[in-house]
Amino acid sequence: MKVNEKYFDEVFDFSGQWDMPSKCGLKLGKFGDKVVILVTELYQNNPGTSVTYAAGSLIKQICDAYKLDIENIIYIECNPDTSSKLSFYDEECFIVTFELKEGMPVNLKYRQLSSVELSKYIII
Amino acid sequence: MKLKLIYPKWKKLPGQTTFNLPPHGPVVFAASLPDYVDVSFTDENVEEIDWDEDCDMVGISMMLTTQVKRGWAIADRYRAMGKKVMFGGISTMLHADETLQHADSIFLGESEGRMEQVLDDWRNGKLQKVYNYMGKLPDVSLIKPARRDLYKRELYNHKGVQMVDLFHASRGCRYSCYPCAVSYLGGRCFRPRPIDAAIEEMAGIDNNRLFIVDNSLAQNTQWEMDLFREMIPLKKKFISHTIEDNPKVLDLAAQAGSWYVYQAVYDTSDYIKERVKRYHDYGIGVEGTILLGLDNQTEDDILRLIDFLLNIDLDLAEFTILAPFPHTKAYDDLMRQGRIFDTDWDHYNAGQVVYQPKNMTPQRLQELYEYAWKTFYKDETQEEKMFKLFTKVLLKEMEDGTYQPRDRRLANKSFGHDVIRNI
Repeated sequence: MKVNEKYFDEVFDFSGQWDMPSKCGLKLGKFGDKVVILVTELYQNNPGTSVTYAAGSLIKQICDAYKLDIENIIYIECNPDTSSKLSFYDEECFIVTFELKEGMPVNLKYRQLSSVELSKYIII
Repeated sequence: MKLKLIYPKWKKLPGQTTFNLPPHGPVVFAASLPDYVDVSFTDENVEEIDWDEDCDMVGISMMLTTQVKRGWAIADRYRAMGKKVMFGGISTMLHADETLQHADSIFLGESEGRMEQVLDDWRNGKLQKVYNYMGKLPDVSLIKPARRDLYKRELYNHKGVQMVDLFHASRGCRYSCYPCAVSYLGGRCFRPRPIDAAIEEMAGIDNNRLFIVDNSLAQNTQWEMDLFREMIPLKKKFISHTIEDNPKVLDLAAQAGSWYVYQAVYDTSDYIKERVKRYHDYGIGVEGTILLGLDNQTEDDILRLIDFLLNIDLDLAEFTILAPFPHTKAYDDLMRQGRIFDTDWDHYNAGQVVYQPKNMTPQRLQELYEYAWKTFYKDETQEEKMFKLFTKVLLKEMEDGTYQPRDRRLANKSFGHDVIRNI
């Protein structure tokens, strides 16, 4: 289940739940005046918390690391195609919207993106 | 110092034969405590809690998600009595934030080499709210033989037959299966114990029948073969999860006393059919474990799977409904898609639908689960099939001279209760 490198430009180290050292794929892009953040679950190469479970904290950590305005981003979470025989490991991408409470993303909402929608925001 | 260690009860699934096995986590934890700690152990599944028993601290060990609410209730009552309560175990790690609300302290991670510090903190009035060792895995050579002396043995006995003892020869798992949280709990690394230490512990267990609870023995061929080779002289009989599909390994497993394995049956392929047959060729029984409700299953798929099971000569079958436990991919997927409709942890017992299946209604999945159990066991009950497997192990024991007759004094007891016979 090695994740194809087309999904990310770099591996981002983040602090998962209970400070578990964790990793995700990261690709940044632009859409109008907003920064597009694409995070990718790395499965076997992520030793810690999944990008979904850590999402709120991960959004904050990426914005802090890249000095991005958290109110001016488009955040997309990607479960990459892993060429597994199991359909649960097919590619799925979600746009994640949220509210901010004391600077932290809360009440995260997920909407699955079609490949056409995804390509509007960022090219994989 | 006196520690009262409690393993909370959970509601058993209706219609299934209940066997209470002696829990492993609490006694492994107890082995990591300093010598000066006097431990008493209560498994609430087989006995009532003695709320008046004197103790300095209460430890609650939880393995299952269906235990957490009961664990929290026990903690609330003890804390109201002025006792300090500390939680640990797998489901404490999976439900840490919620558990923290009911605890004086929670311990996350594996306890070997760490309890001296925790207890020093407690004695000095500096018990920390969280001991966070997630991702910091101790050296497996620190694992000591589990404190099985804490069990009240007569409570794990059914009509004179002692239940299997649980044992682990390794920790962690290099796989990361869809419904499983092991990779979150212990990283994606297989950590075998030194074989001599594992064998020494196994040899010291006063029970000829074991359940080796390792996630999968099929992770390192050489280690697996070495372990089985060293087990042969012990003449133990054991249940385990998957054994590698390799004639040399299966042959050694059989010689080592493999009684039966839990083998996932996930499709109706010839591979599965042959896999079951190969176990049987080596005299190893097979209990199929069948997970229902995955997104790639339609109603027809499940019905076909049940028919298939009846034709592949399984010794036993255990059906479960997908339960999206926190920190699994199943949870992440279903949560993102907004398909989890029930977050009462008591219902996460793998026998109740708590999410919207992709290809059917929740009610239909529940019906198919019940149909699967009924259909598989329609000609022979679960207890009858178990008895057949049990007979096989008795015969093996008689062959190698390890057979011990059941304890007649407990013939009319089942897990501490009187047996009611319908004559």
